[in-house]
Amino acid sequence: MKLRQANSDNAPIPLVPMIDVLMIMLVFFMVTSTYLNLRMIPFTQSEAASPLAPATAQAGTSDTVLLRLDSDGTVRLHGAPVARGELVEMLRQRLATMPDLNVVLLPSGHARTQELVSLLDATTSAGVTRMRLVRLEPVR
Amino acid sequence: MNLARRKRRQHPEPIIALIDVVFFLLVFSMLVGRMDATAPFRVMPAISETGATMPGGGETVAIAQDGTLALNGREMDETALLSELATVLTRMPDRLIRINAHRGAELRLYLPLVAEIEGLGAKDIVLVVTPEGP
Repeated sequence: MKLRQANSDNAPIPLVPMIDVLMIMLVFFMVTSTYLNLRMIPFTQSEAASPLAPATAQAGTSDTVLLRLDSDGTVRLHGAPVARGELVEMLRQRLATMPDLNVVLLPSGHARTQELVSLLDATTSAGVTRMRLVRLEPVR
Repeated sequence: MNLARRKRRQHPEPIIALIDVVFFLLVFSMLVGRMDATAPFRVMPAISETGATMPGGGETVAIAQDGTLALNGREMDETALLSELATVLTRMPDRLIRINAHRGAELRLYLPLVAEIEGLGAKDIVLVVTPEGP
């Protein structure tokens, strides 16, 4: 009986299975990954008060601006529609005199996410840091 | 004169180069992509110029344009979603909750839900946005 092992020094390493594994991993990552550049806007933060405050919170104080967002995306200040550029300029002027200016956003339930985010962008780019998003409860 | 072509020797295909390319693509995909649970429906986040960097991890609540809900890629109704989130928040009160709402979704479809999630004790709730256009 011959027990000596065959000399396998020159046997080539099979590379095709390795390619198969790599291809499967590649397809898996391509299918399961998201390639959108995602960012975030905080709704609530641990160290800050909740922006989803009751409708009465901080309303009526002199350093508070109430902005309404209509269902068609129109932003209203004191009932009058205001363009984005004018809004940013007005908020900048108010911030110059009142650095602790509060902005209360009252969106219509039929307004869309993009319209709310665009309004948040406008207020943030004006330098407002104290914003509250007010949600009115339906009357039961 | 013998014009017949010489029979070509069978050369092995250059497999090493192929492995290099596939490996490069694999590493590229791993670096560029994010391993997020994708929603079972189409969700296009709102475009924002002022969005902050999104931390990893957390639970993802997806909201379709028609208000259909999903938690971590599984479609479910509001009651089941709140029940699962309550369980998660009991174990991990500091867990990040990501609201991935379609840019065309009406606010009435999910602002009450966000308030309910906050009522469960969630401390960090963020709205997912993207800086890029369609």
